[in-house]
Amino acid sequence: MNIVKRALTILVCLLLVPAAAVATAAVKQRFADGPNRVFSGGPLVSGELHAGAEPDWRFVKDIPTIEMQLLAPPTSRRIWVAEFDGKIYVWSGYMGSTVGQLWKRWPVQAERDGRAVMRIDGTRYERELVRIESGPILDGISAAITSKYPSQTSRAVVEAGDAWVFEAAPRR
Amino acid sequence: MKKFYLGIAVALVLTVLAVAFVPGVDDLVERVFQQYVGRAAR
Repeated sequence: MNIVKRALTILVCLLLVPAAAVATAAVKQRFADGPNRVFSGGPLVSGELHAGAEPDWRFVKDIPTIEMQLLAPPTSRRIWVAEFDGKIYVWSGYMGSTVGQLWKRWPVQAERDGRAVMRIDGTRYERELVRIESGPILDGISAAITSKYPSQTSRAVVEAGDAWVFEAAPRR
Repeated sequence: MKKFYLGIAVALVLTVLAVAFVPGVDDLVERVFQQYVGRAAR
């Protein structure tokens, strides 16, 4: 029994080192200007703030990921983006699962306060995230998503609440 | 065991300092973490 206990102690101690590395990297990223890979970043500070007419969002078809920050709380993450019918959309999957609800907090926060800043190719855009829960428009949005990414998103999945889709509309 | 605990404590401190202050180490940690998470998700 003593040997098992000792072996477990050694294992836990050895696992502490990589765990500390991951935790430190995650905390450090929170103070950075935007996200890096998977860890959330701080507020998006650098980059020109877009002013003027609504952009032609078709250019995001060639952009794999964008940086998105909510105003409350002011944290940022790297996410996928799709364009459909002149508007841009962001989404979050796994929302029906317990893991997803624990892991993905930004959709719930965005539903409370949709004000967001997106940084695409170094330019920041002030947007308002508006959730789309149902309707035929989801067919088009899902097609835009699945043609760009290896995603299972569909109108049925969104209407079932397993994926949350937001239009990144102009700020009111 | 005492020496082992001391070694772990030193390794922990060095790891935290390296990730926090040495350029590129945080990115390396994040990249490795991403690979493991990606593999686990598949």
